[in-house]
Amino acid sequence: MAELAGDVLDRFRRSAGLSHSELWLRYFELGGMSSTVELQAILYGALLPTAHDHDVIAHALNERFVELGGNHPVPYDSDEHETA
Amino acid sequence: MELDGAGLVLGVQGEVDYLTAPELGAALDSLIDHRQPSVVVDLARCEFMDSSGLHMIAGRASRLRERGSTLTVRSPSATVRRLAAIMGLVEMIEQEQVRPLEVDAVDDSSSMPAAVPEEMVRYLRSSISSDGVVDAALRLVAGLARDAVGGADGASVSLRRSGVLTTVAATDQTVLDMDAGQYATGQGPCVDAANEGRGFHATSLDTEVRWSDFVPRARTLGIRAILSSPLFSRGQPCGALNIYARHPGAFTSRDQALAWKLAAQVSGDLVDMATGDTAQQAWSRFVGVLTAREALARAEGVLMEREGVDQNAAHGILRRRSVQSGMPLQHGAASTVGSTQPRSPGGTVGVEAPDG
Repeated sequence: MAELAGDVLDRFRRSAGLSHSELWLRYFELGGMSSTVELQAILYGALLPTAHDHDVIAHALNERFVELGGNHPVPYDSDEHETA
Repeated sequence: MELDGAGLVLGVQGEVDYLTAPELGAALDSLIDHRQPSVVVDLARCEFMDSSGLHMIAGRASRLRERGSTLTVRSPSATVRRLAAIMGLVEMIEQEQVRPLEVDAVDDSSSMPAAVPEEMVRYLRSSISSDGVVDAALRLVAGLARDAVGGADGASVSLRRSGVLTTVAATDQTVLDMDAGQYATGQGPCVDAANEGRGFHATSLDTEVRWSDFVPRARTLGIRAILSSPLFSRGQPCGALNIYARHPGAFTSRDQALAWKLAAQVSGDLVDMATGDTAQQAWSRFVGVLTAREALARAEGVLMEREGVDQNAAHGILRRRSVQSGMPLQHGAASTVGSTQPRSPGGTVGVEAPDG
């Protein structure tokens, strides 16, 4: 089960300056299989993502933060040994 | 297994994942020796298949092709069809199963995959601004600026599209020529307003000392005063509302305030739409995303085979490498694929079990 609630992911999305559709495109590029509607449901907290799906979303956000000069601020769910 | 008009048909039942894919591979190997001109893998009764199954089929398809035979996949589920599209394997699916892209705005079919995920089509449709409608609205804005701002003889809206300033609306040819003169010289109030995000007012070009290359051209066209107000998209300057007058000193401080206010009102949704992705840009982005995703699927397949892990674990390996290196995940995927055999000329994935 994901540690982070969807609304936390959505706060990161807003901080990253990404629209829902832009985040979905990045998520899809990284192998995400959920639809745009499903992703929005996750971000609104209406749908609980799998650990894998959570991490794909987190990584899509983190790659955006790296572009902006950050260093992977969004925690991952399934990798306990993640080093950021 | 049975023979029909299409060739030797292998019916697949149940679930195919990384545990059962070798069983499917063995069944396909036995078909290779039958030397049939065509082999069909019927997935009508297959309840689930992940990328390991498709990788297996693609590998055997490649071997069959080397022997002059063909392999097609019949009746895949929507998920398998979507996976095949992502992995660049749609050519394996029987033609009647392939749904063509339905985006009228895109006319570049040369690089168009045979089938694309519905979600991508939806994205493409939603991200393409309706240029005709938006530009018509901006022409109204230019006309309004000319009529509302005292002393104005013409007006235009310049926007940066694909990194280049372009006039998207103009009230007359002189205004178009004025804008073009500024783009050509890289000088003038329009260019500066678009670049710096602040207003520029050339009170009288008779005495103007800025923009030495552009101002003589403007005088030739009979223009003597210019008022350029910046336009913003998503907080960044992206163009200018330009108002031109034939008389020096034509614009009062009230006119400046009015022009600025008009520009501020246009900035936002309308300018956002006008500077958004065009059909071609959205299509290029879309093709890039599909290509990157296909490369990622290939890299995951390499890791699944090399490390004996499932797809999610393979993705996790790539993600951890990305975090540790600070490089995008796709870079790691590309180097993973690059470390193995290159893609076969037939266009299928280059991840196959060694020939036995």
